[in-house]
Amino acid sequence: MPKVLIPTPLRQYAGKLDAVEVEGATVGEALNKLTAQHPDLRRHLYNDEGKLRSFVNVYVNDEDIRYLQKDQTALGGGDVVSIVPSIAGGSAPWR
Amino acid sequence: MLRIDRAPWREMVEHAEAAYPNECVGVMLGLSLDEGKSVQTALRMENVNPGSQRERYELDSRDLLAADAEARRRGLDVIGIYHSHPDCDAYFSQTDLKNSCPWYSFVVLSVQQGRYHHANSWLPDADQTRADREDLILPEN
Repeated sequence: MPKVLIPTPLRQYAGKLDAVEVEGATVGEALNKLTAQHPDLRRHLYNDEGKLRSFVNVYVNDEDIRYLQKDQTALGGGDVVSIVPSIAGGSAPWR
Repeated sequence: MLRIDRAPWREMVEHAEAAYPNECVGVMLGLSLDEGKSVQTALRMENVNPGSQRERYELDSRDLLAADAEARRRGLDVIGIYHSHPDCDAYFSQTDLKNSCPWYSFVVLSVQQGRYHHANSWLPDADQTRADREDLILPEN
C-alpha cells in the first residue's frame, strides 16, 4: 500500500503516527482515506471549501503533484506521499 | 515555548550575519515535548527567491522535504523555520504571514548593519490572518 508521511505537528491528529499506510489508486483517494481514518487531520489540510490549503504541497516520492496529475496522480504500492508546506516571506511590504 | 540550544543558535546567528544584506532561511530540528519545543540542530537552507533577497526569502519545498527526511533519520522533529530581517526589526510582516504555515514556529532574526540584534518567535494561524508571539528562550551569550 502507498504510505503517507505525517509532518511532526500533525501527528497529534493522526494517532501520533509518523506514517500511515492507506489504500488508494490516486493521491486524492489516499488523502481521502487518510482523513477518513483520522478526521481531525482534515481541517489542517483542507479549507472550508474542501480544497487543499494554499500552503500545502503534496509530493509523491520526490515529485510535486502540481507538476504531475495533481490529485489524480496515480499511486503504486511502494509510493511514498509527503505533505510539505510552502514557506516564504520577508520584511518586504505585502503586495 | 521555544528553547534553542547554544550550537544551533550560534549557527543561526552566523548564517543571518553571513547572508547580510540578504535574508537567510533555515530549518530548525529538535524535539516537541509536553513542556515545550527545543531546537537542537539548525540546517542552513538556500534562499531561492528569484528576485532581490534583501527583503524576501523563499524556501524550496524539496529542501524542506530533505530536511524532514534528515529529521526522521536523526529521530528529531522539524520544529520550525528561521529567517533574517536585514536592517529591520524581528516582526512578522504581512509578507511573512501571507506565506506562512501554522504548523511551525517561525523565528525571525533582526540583523542591523551586519550584526545580530534581536530575535522573536511567531506562531501564525491557519488562515494566515494573524501571528502570535511565542516565548523564546535563547542561550546566554
